[in-house]
Amino acid sequence: MAYAALTVGLILPWLLGLALLFALGWPRRGETAGAAALRAGFGYCVGALLLTLWMRLLSVAGIAFGWLSIGLPLAIATAALFAFARRTGRIAAVDVRAVIDSLLRPPLPRWQRIVWIGLLAWLALRFLLLAADVAWQPLYPWDAWVQWATKARVWYELGHIAPFVRADQWFTDSTGAYFDAAPNYPATVPLLQVWSCIALGRWDDSAMNWPWLLLLIALTCAVYGALRGEGVARLTALVGAYLVASLPLLDTHAALAGYADLPMATIYTVAAIAFYRWAMRRDWLDAALALALAACCPLIKIPGLVWALTLLPGVVVALMPRRGLKVVGIMYALGLFALLALARTNVAILGYRLHADFDPGWRTFWDAYLLSSSWNLLWYGAVVLAIVGARRLGAPRLAPLAVVVGTGIAFVLFVTWFTNASSWMQDLTTLNRATLHLAPLVVVFGVLLWRELTADAQPVVPAVLASA
Amino acid sequence: MWLGASLFAAGIVLCTVGYLALSVPGNWFSSLPTLRWSAAELAVTQGSGQRTDEGLRVGATGPEGIAIVSIQTSFRSAGYTTVAWDTGDVPDHVAAALVWRNEYQPGRRFTKPLTVEARRLLPVTLVDDPNWIGRINGLALIIRGDLAHPILIRGVEAKPMTAVQILHDRVGEWLTFEPWSGGSINSRNGGADVQDLPLPFFVAAIVGLALIVYAVLARWLPQAIGPFRPLIAGGLFVFAWFLLDVPWQWNLIRQGHATFQQYAGKSWRDRHLAAEDGPLFDFIEKARAKLPPPPVRVFMAADSLYFRDRGAYHLYPYNVYFNPYQNTLPDASKLRAGDYMVVFRRKSVQFDPALKKLRWEGGQPVDAELLFAESGGAVFAIH
Repeated sequence: MAYAALTVGLILPWLLGLALLFALGWPRRGETAGAAALRAGFGYCVGALLLTLWMRLLSVAGIAFGWLSIGLPLAIATAALFAFARRTGRIAAVDVRAVIDSLLRPPLPRWQRIVWIGLLAWLALRFLLLAADVAWQPLYPWDAWVQWATKARVWYELGHIAPFVRADQWFTDSTGAYFDAAPNYPATVPLLQVWSCIALGRWDDSAMNWPWLLLLIALTCAVYGALRGEGVARLTALVGAYLVASLPLLDTHAALAGYADLPMATIYTVAAIAFYRWAMRRDWLDAALALALAACCPLIKIPGLVWALTLLPGVVVALMPRRGLKVVGIMYALGLFALLALARTNVAILGYRLHADFDPGWRTFWDAYLLSSSWNLLWYGAVVLAIVGARRLGAPRLAPLAVVVGTGIAFVLFVTWFTNASSWMQDLTTLNRATLHLAPLVVVFGVLLWRELTADAQPVVPAVLASA
Repeated sequence: MWLGASLFAAGIVLCTVGYLALSVPGNWFSSLPTLRWSAAELAVTQGSGQRTDEGLRVGATGPEGIAIVSIQTSFRSAGYTTVAWDTGDVPDHVAAALVWRNEYQPGRRFTKPLTVEARRLLPVTLVDDPNWIGRINGLALIIRGDLAHPILIRGVEAKPMTAVQILHDRVGEWLTFEPWSGGSINSRNGGADVQDLPLPFFVAAIVGLALIVYAVLARWLPQAIGPFRPLIAGGLFVFAWFLLDVPWQWNLIRQGHATFQQYAGKSWRDRHLAAEDGPLFDFIEKARAKLPPPPVRVFMAADSLYFRDRGAYHLYPYNVYFNPYQNTLPDASKLRAGDYMVVFRRKSVQFDPALKKLRWEGGQPVDAELLFAESGGAVFAIH
């Protein structure tokens, strides 16, 4: 019974997100390729974020967490949104049948269909194996129980969000504030865990981590849907989704759930996908989704603010197709200049101390990206594709996302080379996890670049860019 | 399809031959068997050791600050190019060396430094050593340094290091089960902790070489294989990715089995008792039974960072204080009546039951009451 309730609790945010996207009519009716996968992927992300925002609201209002205060209103909202979508003709039973058909009997040549089914089975096995650890392994990785689940435990037991403060404040506090290793970290991740426990009806630091696996599955769906939406062939899009879902470090973060890096990677990737769709289509729904998801990035991890800001140069390029790259280039140059000036000081930003301890640490990059098995062949492929496709990076269809990925890489390099985080990089504790936020997007971009390189016909420039 | 497979196969052959050319220290082929001596055959001639189920634990060095583990041998050095000590838990800061005697200078001992990496001693190649000659009448391992935590020696091997043996070792490293560890969340080794040839690099080299061969053939022999087709290049890359994904999936299957064996069918509480920190969890559960209901302030103290942080985690939703980075307790003046202190395996905390005074690290004592004590742990109420 408890696990049935947990299942309902886990599905609820997914249905909520799906219902909202259906009600909004996103993706648009005319867009059929990958729309279901895109909706499924984005649905969970949107729903999970809405869930935690609702929990924050309840806490502010002084209403205790529980099935009645969380589950019931969200279920009613879900039903209402579905009803609205149904009434406005944005959802139909035929959609579901079509999705199942295209999943199990895709219109592909025989050998491609075999590969298709094989990949789906392989992915299903992967998720099943990861589920085994989620189901049985007590909360395992260090930071998960020293700075994230600490909050979840307290908030679950109290039924509301209680403040966590620094040690010096804690000693003098008289309001009952709590302390842990990172009291200033955002609430989204612990709130997801709290909801799982509320759904289950008891504290269980294994069961509370199911959202991590669901986020990985959602990310896989979103990547497939996004690639299909950009005209990538079915099998190639599935391969792209497989490349994301098989990234060993991403899988590890799903199995050993509890860190905020997988949620960060997922929300940032879907935000970037929504942005890219807006850049290609200029649909306000894509823009609204990108904005909302990007705004949620800092609610997951503090560096999420910077990740959200990495989308800005892409916006500049999208809005100014002819001069955007030059403007971004000037912005980069100014940024580098500011960085060099800042690096002569000891300014701390977002907890990272800037200083000119320029230490490229190439060996660490070499070990982490190319020798360890954390990334499979991602960085070999990325480097080769970037070299081979260098001339296409500035093409209108790629430039906005290329700039975002480039800015993301610059951010990782900046943190690695110019801040006190470089000392943590030496033993790979931070470099790989910082990279994890960007890695799925690198895969998406790599597949799009590959499509661009291998397209027989001249790439079609979206109307909005051609006319600009 | 066949073209891609042929290219990949060619890449494998070229890379394998190239690697072996760089790695095989002696003859590529040999009929000599690997010689292995188990921990039971080893003798601790200096320092102290203890035989366990895992092997020989060498825990303390002798009066000269060194420990020596030796074995009487009698084999011809010719053909045996490498000696590998099968070790574990070797601290980074110790110095270690291989020692041997040969038949020509029986009174002399020859040494070769050993490298510590990933808490084990790396094999040493002796093919170029002029003293690795004739019959080897004894091998020994000298360790100098602090061995407060005993190192593990499972045995020692003399290997011919033929091409087959090197390939066997590499494949063994790639397929070594890599269970979850504290470092898993940060990176994945892809098999053994130490690898002479990381699999991603090897596979990338195979694909790279295959693509170069393909590009050259497509440029110069288009009539034979046709023009360069990106689909084949992409197919090679994806196949290589999948090839690397298979051992990862296999590792996950083994991990899933291990997790199942350890935790499946157990309640949440029993799963914690079966976990690595089971004794700590059990102690904290008992401590919680002695504490009033949350949210009172509870200070968690333990010498080990892991026990301190993990103990604090198990104590929530109490209003817990612990130092997440250093093994220090706050000044006594920062505690107040109604607070509690949970101590687990920590030195420098003293309780005087007669006076009911608790003090730590030589600071001012505070009035306290012992609520519960058990095997290295205690719970105090501060008055």
